[in-house]
Amino acid sequence: MSDSSKDHWYPVGLLSDIYTPRQTLLFDQEISLTHDDTGFVVKKSGGVSLPTIERFGHLWTSLGQPDHDLFVIPEADTPGRHLVDVGSVKVKCSPLRAVENFLDIAHFPFIHTDILGAEPHTEVDRYKVEIREGVNEVWATKVKFFQPQAAKSAEGGIITEYMYRVPAPTCAVLYKTCPPRPKEWDIITLFVQPLTEEWCEVWPWMALYDDDSTMAEMVSFQQLIFMQDRSILENQIPLKLPLDPGMETPTQADMTSVAYRRWLKRIGYSYGAQMVAA
Amino acid sequence: MTRLWGIVLNWIAVGLAEDIPVGTVVPRRVDGLDLAIWRSGLGRFHAWDDRCPHRGMRLSHGFVRGEVLACVYHGWQYNLDGACDYIPAHPDLTPPKTICANTYVCETRNQALWVALGTVNGDVPDIGDRIPIRSLDISCGAPAIARYFDHPQDPLIVLRGKYDLAIALQPSTSRSCFAHVFAGAGQDKKIVSRYVEKLRDELEAA
Repeated sequence: MSDSSKDHWYPVGLLSDIYTPRQTLLFDQEISLTHDDTGFVVKKSGGVSLPTIERFGHLWTSLGQPDHDLFVIPEADTPGRHLVDVGSVKVKCSPLRAVENFLDIAHFPFIHTDILGAEPHTEVDRYKVEIREGVNEVWATKVKFFQPQAAKSAEGGIITEYMYRVPAPTCAVLYKTCPPRPKEWDIITLFVQPLTEEWCEVWPWMALYDDDSTMAEMVSFQQLIFMQDRSILENQIPLKLPLDPGMETPTQADMTSVAYRRWLKRIGYSYGAQMVAA
Repeated sequence: MTRLWGIVLNWIAVGLAEDIPVGTVVPRRVDGLDLAIWRSGLGRFHAWDDRCPHRGMRLSHGFVRGEVLACVYHGWQYNLDGACDYIPAHPDLTPPKTICANTYVCETRNQALWVALGTVNGDVPDIGDRIPIRSLDISCGAPAIARYFDHPQDPLIVLRGKYDLAIALQPSTSRSCFAHVFAGAGQDKKIVSRYVEKLRDELEAA
């Protein structure tokens, strides 16, 4: 494979899980995670050690030669946030399909009914999408959507504002209106580990201002949301993400997905992508 | 058209009409092709590619609302012609005519449901006044089944015999079939059903 896919950092495990050795896959290759006196050790099946980064509660590694550090989320460092390791869910779909679904709001009323959306509040207003050249990231801002119950404290529905950021091909960060602190954003991320081109392990992670919910409640909420998404992701045809226009039909509400696909194509990312219309 | 028979097959059975109630949608596979078969509120059957043109979601996971089929993912609604006529994210938009599910001709005749994947040429196969018994999976290719019964490779294998059997074959893959079984009027469904199970075991062992 002559593309750039391997030259990025990928999440492969939780830092909180250090005493459990882990065998897993990355780009179809077996890797092992262990922990010794010096810290985490990630190795390929032949014994070759791989570089590691510890960040956002996860261990990250790379099979290629990343020419960049793993991205940062400065907002997550502000004090008072609960950092939530959600754990992982394996999904039989392309890692890129998982990210694209995370960037989509139009499905909220249909898949996350009465949680993140509800009919008849289905309209998606125009929002702003850009590929930020300096940092080479996809950003969607001024995304607004009706949410039936944005927080436990919220009575009835409110308009919630979102920002989406794609700082790496299989990672997305969601900044979301934070009801208890109107000037801050809650942060919900989706870090995706590519196991194969049609199988991935999804590691959601959150940095929230939420003093009402227990950790277990925050974890189970996010797991519920992702289980609902999985029913979609494992039933899209093809399982890979088509990058060439023509095979699927976007509308204005899909501007983020259109930019994401265009960006993947531009940076030469083909793992999990369907390049030729089937 | 399916390639599995070595001849052009116009009509392929995809089920018993009674197994798809009004207002429901089910998945069916023909020669590796995934279809969504749905029955509108008024009872008409439709066979479409099992794929929403928007984001590729299986339409067989969707829901029937009267005379439209809605995709479960984003609620896009498709009318009886397969054309998308409502996109909930843009309620005021008239969707362009180019947004259209891929549709096939789908007919019922005497309780059997048939789909034409290619150009329609010839009548829908006739099972006569037989009654529907059941559908069952057989791990056996369609040509092998026809050979076993020493029957021409037709979409409908008429065995007659004690139960006046007729079996409409839906080749799901090259090595498996969904068999839709009919028997003579007045036959006991349970007895015929048990007989057909034995027949399947023989076929799979052959």
